[in-house]
Amino acid sequence: MFDRFDIFFVQQLVNGFSVGLVYALVAIGFTLIFGVLNVVNFAHGEIYMIGAYAGLLAILVLAPPWVALLLLVLAAGIAAGIALERAAFKPFRRFRDEASLKSKAMRESTLLSSLAISIVVRESVEKIFGADMQAIPRAYADAMQEPISLGELAVASGQIAILAAAVVMFATLQWILKRTDIGLSIRAVAANPLGAQYVGVHVDRTVIATFAIGSGMGAVAGLLIGLYQGTIFPAMGFAPGVKAFVAMVMGGLNSIPGAVLCAIVLGLAEAVATEFFGQGWADLVAYVFLVLTLVFFPTGLFGAGRERV
Amino acid sequence: MRGALAPLAVAAALFAILPMGLSMAGSGYLFRLADVTLIFCILSLSMQLITGVAGLLTLGHAAFYGIGAYAAAILSTRLGFDAGLTIPAAGLVSALFGVLIALPTMRLVSIYFAVATLGLGEMIYVTLLNWVSFTRGPLGIGDIPPLRPFGFDLSSPLGSYFLLAALAALCLLVVHRIAHSYYGNALRALREDDQCADAMGLPVVRLKIEVFAIATFLAGIAGALWAHTTGYVNPADFRFAESILILAMVVVGGLGSIPGAIVGAALLILLPEALRAIGEVRILAVGLIMFLCILFLPKGLFGEVAALDLVRRQFGAAWRGGSAARPLGWR
Repeated sequence: MFDRFDIFFVQQLVNGFSVGLVYALVAIGFTLIFGVLNVVNFAHGEIYMIGAYAGLLAILVLAPPWVALLLLVLAAGIAAGIALERAAFKPFRRFRDEASLKSKAMRESTLLSSLAISIVVRESVEKIFGADMQAIPRAYADAMQEPISLGELAVASGQIAILAAAVVMFATLQWILKRTDIGLSIRAVAANPLGAQYVGVHVDRTVIATFAIGSGMGAVAGLLIGLYQGTIFPAMGFAPGVKAFVAMVMGGLNSIPGAVLCAIVLGLAEAVATEFFGQGWADLVAYVFLVLTLVFFPTGLFGAGRERV
Repeated sequence: MRGALAPLAVAAALFAILPMGLSMAGSGYLFRLADVTLIFCILSLSMQLITGVAGLLTLGHAAFYGIGAYAAAILSTRLGFDAGLTIPAAGLVSALFGVLIALPTMRLVSIYFAVATLGLGEMIYVTLLNWVSFTRGPLGIGDIPPLRPFGFDLSSPLGSYFLLAALAALCLLVVHRIAHSYYGNALRALREDDQCADAMGLPVVRLKIEVFAIATFLAGIAGALWAHTTGYVNPADFRFAESILILAMVVVGGLGSIPGAIVGAALLILLPEALRAIGEVRILAVGLIMFLCILFLPKGLFGEVAALDLVRRQFGAAWRGGSAARPLGWR
């Protein structure tokens, strides 16, 4: 068994680490939205998919330089996030008293409405672009596949780009949350929506800002991963969305650093499982982690037990 | 006398009018459509019991449907079991898995339970897909014998229809009796506030496990019927999208209402078929109908309160007299 721990295995771990970073990129936005609203946004995977398709459209129509492409996709993600909030979450925030803000029925109705929106969006994209894989033009996709060798290991430039994006996003988010006014109000609403309203925080605006930030990050993640993998398809958001959710639950629901760490652990575990059991069974890893966490650590590995699960 | 009217109307429609109309049309496609609708009626009734009555939002119901279908397929093709045995056996296997899954997850509430069932449902799907030596993986299992329980040949379209209609009516009766009993009231108490129900002395976890077992049993039977009427099972038919379809039926019909489950199932199977002329829009239509329903009709087309009113009127005397004659309580 130990003969497996050779350079090839280390290479697999490096690849698993970059897969984990992909999950982390999605998990950052997911956890941010959950932390503020305390509801699961099932359409986050579709925001990720919209980011990839917006990038593809921009490349096909405008062929913009990299910075412009990133900004365009960021804008598309922000617009999609705000539209999503208006359609699926706002109608269910009519009642502002404490009981209905915490009520099970409200949380479940937004879960169902975001699920329904995600189905509609995915199917509409499928109707417009077709259900098949769409290839990203070579001029852009190839830039993500330049091999870079580090000693005996080889990594693609896309993996470095994803690592850089994860670090930048994580740092930006921490800066926004800790150093800006809007970050302060986001943290206030996350801690206590009613109390924040009493001291004059505009809750509605804060929720929109949260969706804009989370969805913008989700869309950029979708673009980068679409470019790195070279193909995009309408259902591409489902698997990273579920895995980001698993990372969020493992990390303790409202801890962004915890979610990032758990996403990386998940990516590494999947790489190890692929090595020993094959690709098909590796999909089980995330679900096993999810169920084990929920059963044995209901407050997550890094969470401060805030509520009943 | 009025109390017998609604069941009689349902029975007449199921066993006389519909089969007569279908035979006159004489089209296999319409019979197939009726069969699928009946199977999904059983599924949405079973989910109504978990999600509508007991308030446990589950996102993995299709997995139990799949377990039932694979149990029936494997028992009848490998071991040559009779269809009269595979159908109850499929229900039992599915209920066994239901209990095994319920034991660790029933202590979770609300969205955590929902996501745990999503995870477990996908685990079952991945297992069906990858355990090639047992389930033949993505190839699926074919050549499942049609319905010939205990020597009766019901493999003709009309025969299968009658068997399915009889089983669906039986499921309807069972779910109706459970939902409108003291036991059903206890389940509704769990839905409204399980901590409060616990404080009142209801065995919360045991009740949840029991209702999960009953519902997964019914889902397993629906799976077996699907396997025998289709003759072929494939893991792709038991994925997350199918769970969402069943959930949408329950939500559109109205959470907690038995007529709602049937109306929802019929609507979401028949409407996309009717729309087939303008292209394959089944899932899009499901998503759109579900979203509009949550937004504008949060109680569903046939909300629970309306359904309860109907039952109250139907059994008016029994409800009023019965509750006064016997002391109220949990039995």
